[in-house]
Amino acid sequence: MIRVRALSKEFGMRDNGAGVLALSDIDFEVHDNEFVTIIGPSGCGKTTLLRIIAGLIPYDQGEVAIDGRAVTGPGPERAVVFQNFALLPWADVLANITFGLEVRGTPPNECRDKARDLIRLVGLEGFEKRLPKELSGGMQQRVGLARALAVNPQILLMDEPFGALDEQTRRLLQEQLLQLWEEQRKTVVFVTHSMDEAVMLGDRVMLMTPRPGRVKEMIDVPLQRPRSPQVEKSTAFVEIKEYLWENLRAMQVGES
Amino acid sequence: MKNSAIKKRIVVDWSLRLAVFIAAVGVWELFVSTAQNFLLPRFTEVARGVFYLLFSEARFWQALYISNQALILGFAISVVIGIPLGLLAGRFRWMDRILNPYIGVLLTMPVAPLIPIVIIALGLGIAARVFIVVLFAFVFITVNTRAGVRGVEASLIEMAKSFGASEAQIWRRIVIPGAMPAIFAGMRIGLGRAITGMVMVELILVASGLGRLLLEFSGRMQSDLVFATVLAVIIEALALLAGMQALEKRITRWAPDISIG
Repeated sequence: MIRVRALSKEFGMRDNGAGVLALSDIDFEVHDNEFVTIIGPSGCGKTTLLRIIAGLIPYDQGEVAIDGRAVTGPGPERAVVFQNFALLPWADVLANITFGLEVRGTPPNECRDKARDLIRLVGLEGFEKRLPKELSGGMQQRVGLARALAVNPQILLMDEPFGALDEQTRRLLQEQLLQLWEEQRKTVVFVTHSMDEAVMLGDRVMLMTPRPGRVKEMIDVPLQRPRSPQVEKSTAFVEIKEYLWENLRAMQVGES
Repeated sequence: MKNSAIKKRIVVDWSLRLAVFIAAVGVWELFVSTAQNFLLPRFTEVARGVFYLLFSEARFWQALYISNQALILGFAISVVIGIPLGLLAGRFRWMDRILNPYIGVLLTMPVAPLIPIVIIALGLGIAARVFIVVLFAFVFITVNTRAGVRGVEASLIEMAKSFGASEAQIWRRIVIPGAMPAIFAGMRIGLGRAITGMVMVELILVASGLGRLLLEFSGRMQSDLVFATVLAVIIEALALLAGMQALEKRITRWAPDISIG
């Protein structure tokens, strides 16, 4: 379980000393095997929040804990999927997928076996020897996902993972992720700026306010699992989406 | 790309290169025949001079051997000093702040006027020649390496950290491979500078190796052989660059092509 209590984060400005408050008094929990999506206007600090949970940046006040242990840095129970994929351009698909395993000292044979399973899981058979630049964006992010899954984390932290992809690819990957989640039931924190995506994937949607980011509301998504693309037509889906939009729109009126 | 297409491109490239060469030689010959300057050799004379040096002048090989000692040793030292300094300056801000003014000095400093001082300090032996070659070459390797490290995407380092990578692992798996294309670019520039340094120190004070040969030829007004010696040095440099490029291609197959050689 991820527990965040009274979390605040300030970014120091250069020279004049005055900081920018990015996150203020954030409180929420993510239960085991739960899929929580985070949405908010741009600049609300949702990515900052995810990076704090990942242990990549420090926080100023409050508490971030996983299963009761305070987060002080990255840990083996967590893995991150990045918006810009963050693949090693000099390494082929296989080597990119095994990166996390190798860093954590897994023996080469085991790395290769695990990578083969994952390549099958994300549907990249036949591309093992390709370099990232030889792959489409969708395929690159499937490598990113496989790399994160390879270390078998309890918690998957996804930072707008499909944000850089075209809509068709994005929807295919959403479906694939849903299917994967049904099989593995990881705890997932998924940052997005797409309302469709937030509702489609999440058990709950966390709505954040503009800077400083606060939790405006936690919204339950009572859509049945496993979800198919058909849920988009359901009244519940449409209503939640509209509710999100009303709120997001109200926050941004006068800003743009 | 298909094999036949690659072959075709190679043929086109070399035809064009040959055309440029012929044009340049043509201009040269034309200039010499109109200039009426008895010291200016024709291209054909220079070409003959190259063959003479390579096949009938034992002292040329001896001189080449002597000069290359300073070149190889000096270049090797430049690589060994230049790359680590560049890596450190690229990765650590504080290191960069300390080194920055000195790198600026070394980049802009005219080295040739220092040669007499170096020789007074280090004597006429190989040490002085090696030192000058290093002065000429290493800072360019450092600067390029630093730029290469700076160019490594921050997101890759963050990714490595997210998997719990140690600083050593970040170096070995992200920073060094990421900077590799720029390191090679720096070594190419450094090699060119090292060759300049090698010839210059021999010309200015230490009459040894190729510099001594050049001084001798020009003293006897054998300008065709002066040109031929320079041409021979260029040929050696091109061969070294080609070797380095082949190595680079093998190591950095992934990178966009930024080669200048």
